[in-house]
Amino acid sequence: MSKASSKRHRPTELAKQSAPTGERVAALTGAYSFLGREVLKRLDVDHRFARVLAIDVRKPNLPFQKTQFHKIDLTVPTADGDLAALFAREGVTDVLHAAFLSAPTHNLAWAHELEVIGTLHLLNAIGEAKVDQLVALSATAVYGAHPHNPNFISEGQELRNHPSSQYLRDKVEVERQLHRFSKENPGTAVTILRMAAILGPTIDSFVTRFFSRPVCPLLMGYDPLLQFVHEGDAIDACLIALLGRHPGVFNIVAEGVLPYTTVLALLGRVPVPMPSFLAYRLSRALWMTQVFDSPPNFLDFLRFLCVADGTKARRELGFRPRYDIQATLRDFLRLPPAQVRETAMAVGRG
Amino acid sequence: MASKILGDDPFAAPPPPSDTESRPPELDPPAKKAAPKRIRKRTPPSVSVPARNYGPSIDTSRRPDRLAEIDQLCREVRELDGRVQERFGALSARREFTPLDLLARLYRPLAMRERSQTVDEFGRDPEVAARVDRLIDFLYRRYFRVSTEGVGHIPAEGRALIVANHSGTLPYDGAMVMHAVRNEHDAHREVRPLVEDFVFHFPYLGTLMNRIGGVRACPENAIRLLDQDQLVAVFPEGLKGIGKLFAQRYQLQRFGRGGFIKLALETDAPIIPTAIVGAEEIHPLLTKITWLSKTFGIPYLPITPTFPWLGPLGLLPLPSKWFVLFGEPLYFNAEYGAEAANDRILVNRLAEQVRQRIQEMIDHQLARRRSVLFG
Repeated sequence: MSKASSKRHRPTELAKQSAPTGERVAALTGAYSFLGREVLKRLDVDHRFARVLAIDVRKPNLPFQKTQFHKIDLTVPTADGDLAALFAREGVTDVLHAAFLSAPTHNLAWAHELEVIGTLHLLNAIGEAKVDQLVALSATAVYGAHPHNPNFISEGQELRNHPSSQYLRDKVEVERQLHRFSKENPGTAVTILRMAAILGPTIDSFVTRFFSRPVCPLLMGYDPLLQFVHEGDAIDACLIALLGRHPGVFNIVAEGVLPYTTVLALLGRVPVPMPSFLAYRLSRALWMTQVFDSPPNFLDFLRFLCVADGTKARRELGFRPRYDIQATLRDFLRLPPAQVRETAMAVGRG
Repeated sequence: MASKILGDDPFAAPPPPSDTESRPPELDPPAKKAAPKRIRKRTPPSVSVPARNYGPSIDTSRRPDRLAEIDQLCREVRELDGRVQERFGALSARREFTPLDLLARLYRPLAMRERSQTVDEFGRDPEVAARVDRLIDFLYRRYFRVSTEGVGHIPAEGRALIVANHSGTLPYDGAMVMHAVRNEHDAHREVRPLVEDFVFHFPYLGTLMNRIGGVRACPENAIRLLDQDQLVAVFPEGLKGIGKLFAQRYQLQRFGRGGFIKLALETDAPIIPTAIVGAEEIHPLLTKITWLSKTFGIPYLPITPTFPWLGPLGLLPLPSKWFVLFGEPLYFNAEYGAEAANDRILVNRLAEQVRQRIQEMIDHQLARRRSVLFG
């Protein structure tokens, strides 16, 4: 039934006249996620792609024209075989891997299955079907908030093991798998996009929920610099990576940093100061009782720096964020986008 | 409309005049950033040749046409947005506006007092810095009555590394060096002191240091600052210096592991040896209690004639007369080249050389000084 909605090869008036309908075929895991959905919409209208495969366990309900939905659960043991067959049959050239948790969950076993084993299955399929390129989403949180972090973490920094966070440990393991895969399969260009915390008017994640509450915890005496990226820029980054061919790891961040208390002040949230040891205990209790959706070790991000250096993405990927941190916060509050720099995407300087 | 109602909405307010100075340099035209010598990745096997490049992954020969290609791609991605709007309508459901949001908007101007909307990329908040500067100015002029000498040795522009002795239990010396250069130097340059971890992660103190311009001491940060042609102050004695006993005053401790020499060699920054005299008496440290350190999360509990006996009053520094002496710059890069950074023995020798230079300056000044309190 799901395939019925897709109309293959139907030329649209929207497809640009200059280029012929492309022969590339994109596949997207995690198609129901925010980024998955938004990237899917854009691939659906892009002329380079003959068809687009949307893979998820839930179908995004949108009027697609050349997108076919395939319900494949990445955690199922046979998923790799199914995916490989599908990729080979459809001649998939580009894969965007977005089937990741956007928030930590209490179901640690399932989280591990989805993130690590799901990626393993996908990589098996990609290796089997000889896909041209893979773009995988990650987060700058994989660096971890640590007292020894430099002010700007570059992509080359070794990832830490996060003994206290299963969520981050899984993400790091996924990245290690991707690195190993790219070494063993030089034919496939693997791009990893490490996104800063995504904020925006429509995205719903545990970060946006955190900053939507009227009060926010403040660890007494600590006020680290925070960094965000606007949802629109995050989508752009996915597309730029997918449409071009840029193997490597890239930090996707907005320009500028702000202290946590300034972010709260700009958003009009009331900080509730509390000593660190109390905050960690309270947070653990609230996490255990499932009142809050951020685990206690996430308080580290309100205590120490975790700011990534976006120079490489700007230089090599050509990623020019339209929203700096102030504009991102402003748009998060649904204020008119006074400071959006529309020209930011223009490159042309050597 | 909303901005009209909320007259002093900090978002709506025009950026403060000091804004341009505080903005992260990336916000400036990228052309400036594109100079191929800015930030280098610091890989463990340190560069043997001073290759001022961004790393092996950039093929400069292919760059011109790659740029055009990227430019084209970005424009196409931009265009997709419009077509998506046509097909799918505007972005899906925006979050709803609640009465709470209104409250938040009313609260915002209140919360934004005494802080600026932008901080520079290392976290310096011009408004907080200006506020703290009043206190520092009082300390500088009235309390410690700082005299400076040789401030002209600091270049009017371009990178330089101020290397000074460290002391005083609390990092007043960093603040005084900052203030000295800001006020006495013709170019009124801003100094970025590198702050050791113990101070940087100390509750409140570390945050304050960061807001007024302090940067956590690590090679990545130092390279980034120097590559931006900033003036960086380092205190290579580190924690050993700040916690010097009164009996050891003005005896320079080991200069770390020579990291600052490597820095100067790699980034081609002149070293300005600096002696601070007067700071080592402000908190005469009689002894240090280390067995309580775990409980308080500090390396040691200082015992001075006044602390902890007089409680918070005991934290008042002795109003000694200070001298800040800037020595002649040392150009190690011109002499040894950047590759010398890998020569550990040479690095250690140069570090020792700088240490002795500063020790001489201190000794010279101590000989001239007649009184701790009046100079």
